[in-house]
Amino acid sequence: MILSLLILNKAGGLVYHRDFSNTFTKLSSNDYLVLAGTFHGVHAITARLSPFGPSSGGTPSSGLEVMESEHFRMQCFQTLTGTKFLLFTEPQQPNVDVILRRIYELYADYVMKNPFYQIEMPIRCEAFDRHLMAYIKPKQ
Amino acid sequence: MERSNTDSFRHSQYLPFSPTTSSHPSTPLAQKHASLPIPTPTTASSLSGSASTLRYSQSRKTIYDRHLNRSKGAELSKASFAFLFGEMVQYAQKRVSGIQDLEKKLNAHGYSVGQRLLELLVWREGRSGKRETRVLGILQFITNTLWRAIYNKPADALEKSRDHEDEYMISDNDPMVNTYISVPKEMNQLNCAAFQAGIIEAVLDSCMFPARVTAHSVPNETWPGKTVFLIKFEQVVLDREAEFIS
Amino acid sequence: MSFYFVIIGTKDNPLYEAEFGTWKQGGDGVARFRDEQRHLNQFIAHSSLDLLEELQWAGTGGSMYLKCIERFAGTAGGGSGGVVGVAGGVNGAGAGGVWVSVFLTAGNIKFVLLHDTRADEPIRQFFYDVYELYTKTLMNPFYSVDMEVRSAVFDGRVRAGVKKYL
Repeated sequence: MILSLLILNKAGGLVYHRDFSNTFTKLSSNDYLVLAGTFHGVHAITARLSPFGPSSGGTPSSGLEVMESEHFRMQCFQTLTGTKFLLFTEPQQPNVDVILRRIYELYADYVMKNPFYQIEMPIRCEAFDRHLMAYIKPKQ
Repeated sequence: MERSNTDSFRHSQYLPFSPTTSSHPSTPLAQKHASLPIPTPTTASSLSGSASTLRYSQSRKTIYDRHLNRSKGAELSKASFAFLFGEMVQYAQKRVSGIQDLEKKLNAHGYSVGQRLLELLVWREGRSGKRETRVLGILQFITNTLWRAIYNKPADALEKSRDHEDEYMISDNDPMVNTYISVPKEMNQLNCAAFQAGIIEAVLDSCMFPARVTAHSVPNETWPGKTVFLIKFEQVVLDREAEFIS
Repeated sequence: MSFYFVIIGTKDNPLYEAEFGTWKQGGDGVARFRDEQRHLNQFIAHSSLDLLEELQWAGTGGSMYLKCIERFAGTAGGGSGGVVGVAGGVNGAGAGGVWVSVFLTAGNIKFVLLHDTRADEPIRQFFYDVYELYTKTLMNPFYSVDMEVRSAVFDGRVRAGVKKYL
């Protein structure tokens, strides 16, 4: 069961937010903006937090990827360009990786190829919404 | 600017510039018939007087060496086209004010594509290529040959309007140019398939069926992107058709 | 045997013109037109456009090669000869007669060839050759419809076509 999706731009601002279920209490829209900003900061801090330094492959450690509690699980997928996809699901949801990849694909198609979308601005693409709902709904 | 013969040009696809010739009919055209006049860069520059500043392909191939069937059946990645088309839309948007002008600009872009596509497709039919002289003939050509050449499938429907003698409609359930485009709410009347409408208009104009073609969105349940291309012929065409029938 | 070839655009403007002589039977490829004849050539080509327009829309044929549409009979003095009837008739090698053959592309570009002896098949092949060249010219994004063709390569290829077929 997928709960909600947040997309953050390079600067940490919230560009997209969508709830897929009614089983949890909703925050106000301002709260979501604060949440996004906070997560962006936490992600940056956690990238530096590892006591081991860069791994043997030379890649520096990434920031926070998964956060799990009894009631929900949050997974973060960061793209090479700094865009973060936050997916909130129930803890027992399988294949979150696959779902995040597919969402990234939909983003690359219907948001980036849209000439009316301005980069780093809030996403208002009807095609993206439509395809996202069509993809997520059967999984609920 | 000097012509630099660096390695980069060996791999480039530059087509040579053909210098102007004076083909005035009154001067006797005495040609040495010993050799075919394929221009080399040296002769070309001597013909044009001053040294040409354009670069020549190392293999000296001209556009006339390229076979027209080379790209027949070739496929293009949808993403490449989508990015290019998106840039085209943005480019047009910067230069116009208003939705009508934007559609006209996209129409103009499609127009030049259509003029070339018509000749190319008819040439590819070879000996059996024919000029269309009837309205139905040219519309069939568009919905079948043209659509298949661009999208690999025929158009979805061709209808004649009941109210107006001079109007025909071609429907496409999901125009490929619009696949990735979401028009913002404030520009609701815009349909970027105006580009495709331009292609159709060029084909009709070049075949001597002057018309105006516009793209209209008619979303329905199964096909939210359904588009109808409304073709409005001019009076000349109707008169000619009437002569045919009589 | 000389030929006068002209490509006419959609607005009746000439895009390309050239004169050839035949390569067959020991000809050297140089056109031999009398001076007055040269001016008359352009006139003949343009006046045949009227007849062409009629034929263009006749019937449901719609083929591109329209063969000989007209025979223009001129007097030896090259003065004001009258236009004589429509084509398809006798292979008349009358004195001073000029045949007009036309090829019409799908985009309404006319290739007009004036010649003094009638020969359908080689002219048809020549026209298809030039048609291919014209289409390639049109593929150039810097060339728009109804623009003059100024390419030396085009010129060379047309002449090669003459050498091959005519």
